[in-house]
Amino acid sequence: MGFVKRRTIVALASVVVLALVAAACGGSSTSGASSSSGGAPIKGGTIREELQEFGWTSGFDPTGEYLGTAWSLYDQMIMRGLMTYNHRGGDEGGNIPVPDIATGPPTVSADELTYEFELKTGVMFGPPVYREVTSADILYSFARINTASLSALYGNYYCGTITGMTCDKDKVDTNIEGIETPDATHITFHLDQPTGDFLYRLAMPATKAIPEEVAKCFTKAGDYGPYLISSSAYMFMGSEDLDITSCDTMEPISGYDVQKGMTLVRNPNYDPATDSTEIREANIDGLQQAINTNYDDIFQRLLDGQIDVAAGTPPKGVLLKFETDPQYANWLHADPGDRTWYITMNLFAAPFDDVHVRRAVNLAFNKEGVRKAYGGEKRGDIATSVEPPTVLPQSVDINPYPANTGEGNNDAAMEEMKQSRYDLNKDGICNDGGACDNILFLGRNIDPWPEMDQVAMASLGTILPGLTLREVDTTTGYTTLQQMKKLVPISSVPGWGKDYASPFGFDYYIFHSDGIYSCTGSSNYSLVGLGKDLADSCGIGAEYDAYVQNNGDVPSIDAKMAECVAKPADEVNPCFAELDTYLMETAVPWVPWVWANNWTSVNPTVSTYVFDQFGNTISYINSAVNNGLAPENVA
Amino acid sequence: MLRYIIRRLIWLVFVLVVITAITYSIFFLLPGGGTDTIAQRFAGRAPRPELVQEVKIQMGLDKPIYMQFFSFTKNLFFGDQYGWPGFGKSFTLRLPMKPILLERTLVTLQLALGAAVMWLCIGIPIGVLSALRPRSLFDRFAMIFALVGISIPVFVLGAIGLYALVYKTHLLPGTGYYSIFEYGFQPWFSHFLLPWFVLSLLYAAFYARLSRANLLEVMGEDYMRTARSKGLTERRVIVHHGLRASMTPLVTVFGLDLAGLMAGAIITERIFNIPGIGDLAIKSIGSQDVYAILDVTLVAAFIITFANLVVDIVYAFLDPRVRYE
Repeated sequence: MGFVKRRTIVALASVVVLALVAAACGGSSTSGASSSSGGAPIKGGTIREELQEFGWTSGFDPTGEYLGTAWSLYDQMIMRGLMTYNHRGGDEGGNIPVPDIATGPPTVSADELTYEFELKTGVMFGPPVYREVTSADILYSFARINTASLSALYGNYYCGTITGMTCDKDKVDTNIEGIETPDATHITFHLDQPTGDFLYRLAMPATKAIPEEVAKCFTKAGDYGPYLISSSAYMFMGSEDLDITSCDTMEPISGYDVQKGMTLVRNPNYDPATDSTEIREANIDGLQQAINTNYDDIFQRLLDGQIDVAAGTPPKGVLLKFETDPQYANWLHADPGDRTWYITMNLFAAPFDDVHVRRAVNLAFNKEGVRKAYGGEKRGDIATSVEPPTVLPQSVDINPYPANTGEGNNDAAMEEMKQSRYDLNKDGICNDGGACDNILFLGRNIDPWPEMDQVAMASLGTILPGLTLREVDTTTGYTTLQQMKKLVPISSVPGWGKDYASPFGFDYYIFHSDGIYSCTGSSNYSLVGLGKDLADSCGIGAEYDAYVQNNGDVPSIDAKMAECVAKPADEVNPCFAELDTYLMETAVPWVPWVWANNWTSVNPTVSTYVFDQFGNTISYINSAVNNGLAPENVA
Repeated sequence: MLRYIIRRLIWLVFVLVVITAITYSIFFLLPGGGTDTIAQRFAGRAPRPELVQEVKIQMGLDKPIYMQFFSFTKNLFFGDQYGWPGFGKSFTLRLPMKPILLERTLVTLQLALGAAVMWLCIGIPIGVLSALRPRSLFDRFAMIFALVGISIPVFVLGAIGLYALVYKTHLLPGTGYYSIFEYGFQPWFSHFLLPWFVLSLLYAAFYARLSRANLLEVMGEDYMRTARSKGLTERRVIVHHGLRASMTPLVTVFGLDLAGLMAGAIITERIFNIPGIGDLAIKSIGSQDVYAILDVTLVAAFIITFANLVVDIVYAFLDPRVRYE
C-alpha cells in the first residue's frame, strides 16, 4: 500500500490487541467456592443476588410498601415487630405468625376486643439509633399508618378495626384512642369488632418498630426508605454514618441505592438472646442485591458462580439445563407461592351473566394443558378452588367440578351449558346470536401467555365458539380489567397472591364489594357484590338490571366475610372454606387453574436453602452459603 | 452569526415547551391516560379512592392539567425545591430527578464518546483505504463489513459478544458500569470495551461507506487533478486536499449521531447493564413515572436540538461558503 505504510497498519493492529489484553488482564470473575449441597448451615459468607429492578411500590418505606420481596427483607432481616413468621416453608409453619418482640401470645379479652402484649427488653435499634425498642416505637408505626400523607397502602387492615384509626390524619399523631402504651414494655389494642386474624395483621411490616427521632423527618410516602433504621439482625451497610443530629443533616444511607442495589450487614446491636434461632438463624454475614438490567446475564452469572441466587423464571436455555442436565439437578427450587392464576369472568358481561355458562367454563377448561404451556408441573398444583392450600388448607377439599379432572370435560360442560338461556337449541353450545358472537377473551402478549391462551381458547372453543382472543401487555391488561364500563367478559391476565396467610388477606380485595373502588379502579374484576348505585354511576346500570331480572340478587360474600373475620382464630378457616365453596359453586367468578409455585435458582454455593413462606422468597435469614465472602457495597 | 445563534437558542426553548406539551397530552388527554389512571398505578394493588386522591395530591395531579403543565414548565426554567433546572421528583424512585439525570447523562456520555472514538478510528480509515483502492479485494471486504455492520441489530451483536467474549472465553469481565473514579481505569475500560464496540459497529460501517463515497467523489474533482499536476506527493494530495473536503459532511453527521446516542443508547445500556439515560427512559416508561418520562424526553430533546445548533455553527467554520445571517 503506497499511501499508508505497512508499519502503520501493524501499529494500529497492535493497539487493538493490547486493548483486548488490557481488558482481559486484571480483574477476574469472582467465582464462588466449590459447590456443596445440603449439609449443616455454615456461618459466614454473603448471599449475592441480582435482579432487574427492585420494583418498590412505595420507595421501600415500610409504612406503605406493598411488595412481597420487600416484606421478606423487612420481616427476615431488618425490622422487628410484635409478631413475625419463622421464615420457613409452609410445611414448617411458615405462614403462622409467632411472637417476635412480644414475649408471647397476647392476652385476649373474652369479647375478643382487647389484645394486651408485653414486650421483651434488650431489643435494640441498630446504628445510629443506639437505644432499646419500646412500645412507643410500635405505637409510632401505627401513627404513621394513620397518616394520610404516608399512604399506607394496606392501612385498611387497621383503620376501621383498631378504635380511633381512620387513616386520614393530617399529621403523625400518636394519640390513637385504641392503642395504649402504659409503659415501655406494654401495649394494648382495642378493636371495634372481633377480628380473628388480628395477629396476622400485626405481623405485617407496616407495624414494625420505627424510631420517631429519625422517621419524623419524612412525612411523605416513600421518603423514609433510604434512611431505614434496623431493629433486627441486619442493617443497611453504612448505617452508622447516618447523621441524625437533625433532619437537614441526614443523607441516604450509603448501603442502599434504589438504582444500583442494596447491601445488608450484621447489626452490631442485635442480641440473639432476644430472638430465636427457630425464627432467625442469621447464618450469613451479609446480603448483596444488585441491579442488573440484563435478565439473561443474571442467570449466566449464576451459572458462573458470580452470584448465588436469582429469582424468577430462568431463560429457556438455562431452564433446559436445570431440567435435563444432572449437574444442575438441585439448582431450581419450586416452592408454593401462595398465589392463584385464574380465568376471571365478568358477572355482568353476556354470556357470563348466566351462572350455567360460568360453570360450563369451569368444566371445559383444560387446566393441565394451560399449566403445561406455562411450564409444567413445577409451576404448581392444579387449582380446584380460589385459595392455595398454604393459605386455606381446606382448599384441597373444595372441588365443585370433579368431572373436570384437569384436562377439561366437554361433555360435562355441554350438559351444563344446556341449562343456560344462551343455548337456544339446547345442544350444549352458546348460540344466542349476539351474546355468543365475538366474545372478547383478553390475554397477555408476553411469554408464555400466547401459548397458554391458545390452549385456553381451544378448550373453550366447543362451548363458546364465538370467543375472540386479544392479547395486550400486562399493565394494559390490568388497567383494562379495572375499567368497569369496558365489561371485559373473560380474561387470563390476572393472578392473585395473598397479603397474609389468613383467607381474609387473600379474599378481601378480590371478592368483597370494597374491592370495587371506583369506575376505573377495581381489583374485584368479576364485580362480585356490585351495588346498584355504583353500577348506575359507572354506566352499567342496564347490565345490572338485566342481571337482577334474569338471576335475582347479585352474588355477594360481604356478609359472610364479616362473619368469618369476627370468628375466633380457630374458626376462621372453616368459615372461609364455606365462603370459598359459595364462590366456586354459586357465584362462580373464576376458573382457578393453578396454585402457583415460586421459582428460585441457586448456585451450589448456597449450602443450605430455606424458603420463606410469608414473603415467598428464599429465606435469607435461615439459608447459608459457603462462599466465605465479606459483603461489599453494591450501592 | 451571533444573531443567528441567539435566534436558534430561542427556537430551542420553544421546541422544549412544545415537546413538554405533547408529552403531557399523551399522558393526560389520550384514551387510557388521565390523572386517575396514572395515580392508580402508584396506589398499590388495592387502589382505594382515598389512596388514589392522596397520591394525586402528592404528585400534583389534583390540579387542572393546564395548571400542572404551567407549573412544570415554570419549575423547569426557574428551578424548584431541588434546584435548577427544576426537574421535579421521580415518583417511582422517590428521589429528585436532577442528580439522577446528571449522573446518568455522564454515564451515557462515556458510552457515547468511547463508541464515537472507536467508530471514527475504525470507519474512516476503512472508508479512506477503500476509496484509494476501489474494487480491490480490500475494498470488497470492507464493504461487506459495512453491510454486516449496518444490518446486524445491536441486541444480536451484544448477545453474541457477551456469549463469545464473556461467558465462553472470559476474555472480558462482563456487564455493569464501573466508575473510573471509584474502581480505577482498568475495570472502567474493560467493562466499556464491548459496549463501545457493539455500539460503534453500526456507525463504523456507515462511516466507512460514507467516507469512501465522499472521498471517491472528491478524488474526481478538478482541483485534485490540479494538485497532482503541481507535483505534490500523492499523500499530500489525499490528506491536504481530498480528505478535508470529503470529511466536512462527516462532521455534520457525526454531531447528530453523537447527539442521538447521548439521547439514549437504550438497547446497549440494557444489554450491558449500564445505568444511563436510555435505561432510565425504559424504566420510567415501564413504571409510568410521568415526571421521569417528561424529564428524560426533555433532556434528549435538548441534546439533539443543541447539537443541531453546534453542528450548524461548526459547518459554517469549516465551509467558508456557508454564512448565517
